[in-house]
Amino acid sequence: MTSLQAAPALQEIISLLLRIITSRTFLQIVFFPGFLNVMLSAALLTWLERKVIARVQLRIGPLYAGPSGVLQPIADGVKLIFKEAIFPELADARLLMLCALGLMMLAFAPAVAIPFGEGFVIADMDVGLVYVFAVMSLFPSVILLIGWGSNSKYSFLGGLRSLFQQVAYEIPMWFSVLGIVMLTGTLNLTKIVEAQQRLWFIVPQVLGFAVFFAAALAELERTPFDLPGAETELVMGWMTELSGVPFMLGFLAMYTKLYVMSAMITTLFLGGWSGPGLLPQPVWFLLKTFAVASVIVVIRGTFPRVRVDILLRTGWTRLLLLALANIFVTVALISLGLDWVWRI
Amino acid sequence: MPDIAFLALSGLVIVSAIFALEARELIYGAVGLAFSLIGVAGLFILLGAEYLAMFQVSVYVGAVVVLILFTIMLVRRESGRILEEEEPGRLGRAGILVAGLVALAVAGAVLVLVPTYLEAPEFYRVPLRELGRLLASSYAVALVILGLLVGATVVGGLTLVRVEREEKTSGATQ
Amino acid sequence: MEPLSSYIILSSALLGIGIYGLVSKRNAIRLLFSVELIVNAANINFVAFARYANPPMLTGWNIVFFSIAAAAMEATVGLALILVAFRLNGTIDVRKLNRLRG
Repeated sequence: MTSLQAAPALQEIISLLLRIITSRTFLQIVFFPGFLNVMLSAALLTWLERKVIARVQLRIGPLYAGPSGVLQPIADGVKLIFKEAIFPELADARLLMLCALGLMMLAFAPAVAIPFGEGFVIADMDVGLVYVFAVMSLFPSVILLIGWGSNSKYSFLGGLRSLFQQVAYEIPMWFSVLGIVMLTGTLNLTKIVEAQQRLWFIVPQVLGFAVFFAAALAELERTPFDLPGAETELVMGWMTELSGVPFMLGFLAMYTKLYVMSAMITTLFLGGWSGPGLLPQPVWFLLKTFAVASVIVVIRGTFPRVRVDILLRTGWTRLLLLALANIFVTVALISLGLDWVWRI
Repeated sequence: MPDIAFLALSGLVIVSAIFALEARELIYGAVGLAFSLIGVAGLFILLGAEYLAMFQVSVYVGAVVVLILFTIMLVRRESGRILEEEEPGRLGRAGILVAGLVALAVAGAVLVLVPTYLEAPEFYRVPLRELGRLLASSYAVALVILGLLVGATVVGGLTLVRVEREEKTSGATQ
Repeated sequence: MEPLSSYIILSSALLGIGIYGLVSKRNAIRLLFSVELIVNAANINFVAFARYANPPMLTGWNIVFFSIAAAAMEATVGLALILVAFRLNGTIDVRKLNRLRG
């Protein structure tokens, strides 16, 4: 592509824009598997969570908005948009709004690298795995800014606790996928999915899966690791002072993260888009992702909360040891010559 | 379109860097620094070093910036107002002069001495396998020393910050 | 592709900004910002040169790898020092922190 010299004619700009808008990548980003898909999935997950939790607690959950309450997220969204966004007087409203928006953008970012089918990925990065983790590492700072910018003790403490928790569990998360990287020799998510054609990684990497699952729960701030947002402890943690549209952005960001992490678990351990050819590959992928998300939701309804110091200690020491054990198991597998199973 | 990308990213880097130094609130400065570092990561991607870009984002922006934010929040005065009163004055102007001279000298020296009319080789991405192999073989000693450095940093940092708290050991720490 | 000189100019400009920060700021944390900017300028230089060499040299990227890690370590210790200095002196203005004490 030649570099633009001086100011090109307006016609060239318009034709360029048209080319971009109708290009495959742009359509993928906007519709499927991009923006629209992620937003709909996140909204659907809010409904799914409320329904599943309700059933676990012998209730019914949302019922009136649409069939079986499916349109409840839309009702919530509309209500939140019309709400007045109230900020404390000394809170930095500009910072809070920008950070809430940034949180939403960050939550959406990893979806760009996650493959939905063979070749069906927005950005086939050779470092896709590291890209997702790099984006995940950006969350703690934004949450810290929101917690501090709210100018309230509860929010700040909640933000600090979120920060400690997420930073503590990043390392086990990184280590738990090292086994997969060793077995496949690539960081490319598409190739990792393709390597699971014969056997999903959840079988040889059970320990890695357990550690990654626990770390994902901690990164998502979900029970049993949801101390930062526990109502009996810190009101709502770092989200306490958000209301209206910023709250909606933060709330949706949490569920978008849930969707993205479920998608990552599916991609890394459950074979991604592979499945018997009855259904198209993206459908298999979405089925598996929502199954994982449902499991996470059921866990929320079933487990008690972990105390914060035990939480941190588990993240820094015990999960790390488990991940290292997983690496040893993987080395044993490779030295036994069994890694041909995952070579394409 | 590499040219537009390069211009946009370098604009982001420079403008955020200036903002990081000149913003009234330190917190905004830290956010500006974060944007500048992300811009640098984008430049790494332009130069074909994608893994380095991810490394930069997760280490610099994901960890160092968090530390900086943390420290800023801990060194605020009780009243909560900004910690410094800026008076650019003579020192600021001297700073610009010195900085400009050094930058010009460095740029001039490099541009004169290095044959920079060399065009780039065709599109190139860092081969991760080679990088890994190199790290594990030629740079293995350096990697181990880096590990020791990280350990020393953790121990040193914790020791530094634990100044007057010997009697308040909580049972939760390892 | 951009010629190499663009990258050199960019990193020199970043170096200049960093030096300006080092010379004229009195807040210790802004000095830390400036140091990080300078290190990043050097990293950009390394990566650019490694890329534009013919054939591209892997050494450059490895150096940047270690540079990023070492600079992160240095920032950590620097921040710990700033915290302790603040605790002992109540200020992080480097003009007032010019005596060795305790």
